[in-house]
Amino acid sequence: MGMEQVWILPAIPMAVFILLGLFNAYIPRRGDFIAVLGMSLVVLLVGLVLLDFQGSFSDHEFHPSDGANTYAFDWLNIGNGFFLIEFSTYVDAITMVMLPVVSFVALMVLVYSIGYMHGEKRYGWYFAALSFFVAAMLLLVISGNLLQLYLAWEGVGLASYLLIGFYWERQSAAEAAKKAFITTRVGDVGLLIGIILLWKATGTFDIQELISAAQAGAFTETYLTISLIFLFLGAVGKSAQFPLHVWLPDAMEGPTPVSALIHAATMVVAGVYLIARMLPMYELAPIAQDVVLYTGLITALMAATMGLVASDIKRVLAFSTVSQLGFMFVALGVGAVTAAMFHLFTHAFFKSLLFLGSGSVIHATEQQEVEGLGGLRKKMPITAATFIIGSLALAGIPIFAGFFSKDEILHALMDSGPSWAYVLLAGTALLTAIYSTRLVLLTFFGETRNTESYNHAHESPRIMTAPLCILAVLATVSGFFAIDQVGKLLGFEGGIGYLVYPVGGHPHEFKLYVLFATVATITALVGLVIGWIYWHGNAQRANAAKEWAPEIHQLLVRRYYMDELYQGIINRVILGAAAVVAWFDKRVVNETGVDGGAQLINFLGWRLKFTQTGRIPNYVLAMAVGVLAVIIVAVSNS
Amino acid sequence: MTEPDALALVAVFLIPLGTALLLMVVPSTERSLLIGITALSGFAMFVLSVMIFLQYDFEGAQFQGVRAWTYMENVGLLGENGIQLKVGIDGIAAAMVLLTGIVILPGTWVSWKIQDRMKDFFILLYILTAGVFGTFVMLDMFVWFLFYEMALLPMYLLIAVWGSTRKEYGAMKLMIMLLAGSILIFTAIFAVYTEAGLGTFDLTQLYGVQFDEDFQKIYFPMIAIGCGILAALFPFHSWSPDGHASAPTAVSMLHAGVLMKLGAFGIIRLGFQMLPEGGAFWAPGLMFLGITAALYGAISALRQTDLKLMTGFSSVSHMGYVMVGLGTLNVIGWTGAVLQMFAHGIMTALFFLLIGGMYDQAHNRDIPNFSGMARQMPVWTVFFVIAGLASLGLPGMSGFIAELHIFIGAFRAYPLVGGLAVLTAAITATYLLRMFSQAFFGEFNDRWEHLRDITLAEKCGAAVLAATILLMGLWPSPWVNRISTTIAETIPLVTL
Repeated sequence: MGMEQVWILPAIPMAVFILLGLFNAYIPRRGDFIAVLGMSLVVLLVGLVLLDFQGSFSDHEFHPSDGANTYAFDWLNIGNGFFLIEFSTYVDAITMVMLPVVSFVALMVLVYSIGYMHGEKRYGWYFAALSFFVAAMLLLVISGNLLQLYLAWEGVGLASYLLIGFYWERQSAAEAAKKAFITTRVGDVGLLIGIILLWKATGTFDIQELISAAQAGAFTETYLTISLIFLFLGAVGKSAQFPLHVWLPDAMEGPTPVSALIHAATMVVAGVYLIARMLPMYELAPIAQDVVLYTGLITALMAATMGLVASDIKRVLAFSTVSQLGFMFVALGVGAVTAAMFHLFTHAFFKSLLFLGSGSVIHATEQQEVEGLGGLRKKMPITAATFIIGSLALAGIPIFAGFFSKDEILHALMDSGPSWAYVLLAGTALLTAIYSTRLVLLTFFGETRNTESYNHAHESPRIMTAPLCILAVLATVSGFFAIDQVGKLLGFEGGIGYLVYPVGGHPHEFKLYVLFATVATITALVGLVIGWIYWHGNAQRANAAKEWAPEIHQLLVRRYYMDELYQGIINRVILGAAAVVAWFDKRVVNETGVDGGAQLINFLGWRLKFTQTGRIPNYVLAMAVGVLAVIIVAVSNS
Repeated sequence: MTEPDALALVAVFLIPLGTALLLMVVPSTERSLLIGITALSGFAMFVLSVMIFLQYDFEGAQFQGVRAWTYMENVGLLGENGIQLKVGIDGIAAAMVLLTGIVILPGTWVSWKIQDRMKDFFILLYILTAGVFGTFVMLDMFVWFLFYEMALLPMYLLIAVWGSTRKEYGAMKLMIMLLAGSILIFTAIFAVYTEAGLGTFDLTQLYGVQFDEDFQKIYFPMIAIGCGILAALFPFHSWSPDGHASAPTAVSMLHAGVLMKLGAFGIIRLGFQMLPEGGAFWAPGLMFLGITAALYGAISALRQTDLKLMTGFSSVSHMGYVMVGLGTLNVIGWTGAVLQMFAHGIMTALFFLLIGGMYDQAHNRDIPNFSGMARQMPVWTVFFVIAGLASLGLPGMSGFIAELHIFIGAFRAYPLVGGLAVLTAAITATYLLRMFSQAFFGEFNDRWEHLRDITLAEKCGAAVLAATILLMGLWPSPWVNRISTTIAETIPLVTL
């Protein structure tokens, strides 16, 4: 199987979805093994595609071969190609980073779910929905044109809606699902407008054709800037960037493996993927690219501060995800596609590891608030060890994956961004180390804060710890992929810099600038130490800090009051407008216009009936008046 | 490809008419016989309409299956072939015939639940259906209007006798408003007839007449408003939510699903095709009313608590999209408008089928009264979610295909309107998902312990409609090819 047949990848989980969605009740074990086997096959095939893809490298340059862009069929065609939507697949280095991430993390999550979801009443449906998600996600990353991408984009959104609302008997889960869908939908309005605007100027939806058209000057800069900002809105919604980030923390209502796959490793990076894919166009519209940069910067910082105080273990991770996605957008904002995709790659492993680890904790203790955890390292050694590895990777401690990729981003920002932005992002990296430490300390160290659940706690079964261990290994080693020798060892020309690099640019070698790396390492270590000082033992200092500035603490806990603000806007402005319109329709249009018209006729009929008195003199009088009027008119006319 | 046969076009409205006549002689106590006859007839209409749609060859002639039987000529004012029974379809009509065939099939199935005077119900329902089919296939303006009225009048009795909540009010309002529209159409028809001076009502001949531009500017709005009332054109929409709310299930389905499209179809057939310059002159106005209705209906729907009223306002909003599409005057927007007529017809029929299936048991449609219904009625919920997702324009479902064309067409004509139209889709998502999370999910309300999932007939009917939604959403070209070719080649002044 080569790049031409890449469409088979989404077809497999789609078939699994249809099979399990309709017939899971008739299959042994509700068909969970079918989902796992199907995904294993996908992983295997991704390996084959990767082999084929390596063939398109020569002389240290990537040459898109004929197989990269495969036309499938015309989906819609009006006016002989005037309005044409072709289904096509496109495989390049960016796709080749996404495919292993999506398929491999999905496989890990599916295996883990066998243990985690054991005994759930909609067990079969869970595997079906997850397969549907993977199908849509794979279709998204192989799409050759924007409309096909939009189709898959909404597909993953639907899967996210269904899975966040998996425990729909809980009102909070139903609300969270709704919030996620509507918030991302707001972004999707922008995405669709952006796609249509790009089509309007060029007459094509094909991404590569759009890029060449833009480079050939098919757009004015203003037009391109506006279109690309609209397009970016879609990414803001899907990747939970400020100001549409509010849905992701609530999305933690879904089952934890779902959070690991959809809300950490794959779907939320779709926005990053989209902008990375379209980056050659953003390069032509500097203002739009700056919007990407600053949105990412604000989000990274803001989410990290919120992560410092969140009390729900999954929400801390959710804020962390939002923040790390911000890092990726910062990288894209300065044109460093390599750094962005590399961070996406490593982040997928260590963040899904952290989520699955938190799932293991929740599974064992049935506690999600850190108030009910603590000291679990003795009870759950494997979970604790893997979780710590994930946290070290997140904090950016050397040799772990996050160090390499975060370093790339900071370095790119230093090279081509404003220096204050670098300071802010480095500060965010410090915060990252602090909250990672806090989470580890509060969960696995110190004394337990809930003896009852602590006593029940036990290490999770092997079907759950095995994926944790595999992901822990990846969270450690996936950063090495930056190094050329490692890349060569794996059969590539070099490290990630040889695989993903800006279109029109050149492959570059990864360099570890000693001074720069030392600063980054010290930052991370300082964060670790600060975290330890504040939260070790009974977290005395942290509590003192909380009392020292309760307003700031409240501001962070209430997430900068943005949820309240949005709720207020919805309740007051939107529903208020709806009330006015509904009132207008009821009173003015219907009761005054329509019923009023009817009543007027009724009233006139009632009035006029009194002229029908039945008395001859009245009629004679009326006749006389009439005749008189006719005579007067006739005379005056002649 | 073979073209559809004229006899098939005649048969498609003679079957329901014949069934109605046949039912008149069947004793109303013989329920199983009644069910048998209607089952056969409904199935025959379905098969026939699918056949007609598939046989329509979009690379062939403008009108296919054309054949005329002269009804009246050389009498007084009328010339040769003055009034004919002339049938024939183009791509637009083919899609509409298919829509009617698909909606009447489940519409028949769910009506077997009716206990009270089922026979009379079916007689009226099938007369209505015959009127709808006839309007879509007729190419003679006079007979067109006859069938158009035949489709409207049974509505009054169907709602007033078998309806619910304020049924007399709903029926009366609906009838008076629609008849007011008919008066406008009727006037315009005769104005066109005399202005042309051909002595015939044959539409294909009238299409060849170059009418005076001022004449067109005066009479196009008469047709647009007259037919527009039936299409719930803002601000003449107010019969629609109340009418839908009070109508029985099958009537709501057929009415919102098919009858409203008759109005939009009239605007195309009599308006744009016959009076193109008038249409072009008034198109911005139509678009303005359309986008107003789309936003207005969606925002009103946010505030509705009655499920049927919400769906009614949603229909106003979605039919507003049709007007937006027609107002763009380009092939993409127009294709979107006709696709939207089809897509909205199917999804609304599904909505009303499901609401009916629940209301028959609960006798309540107030959304805040429900909670966690997915536990008690899982199949019902699944179908409802499918209809909702189609309605909010999720890709892969029929609604998206239609909306995409309308958005693009609107962006080509007036980008601002296009932007507002896309925004409306987000509002649609808001009111539907609010309803979902309130009524379907959350903790189950024990008050509804006694509810059962929908019946087998309803499940089958919903499956037919849901399958159509997915089929069109995933494989739209059979629709798009037929519709867009017809528009590109036959509608004057509508350009690529």
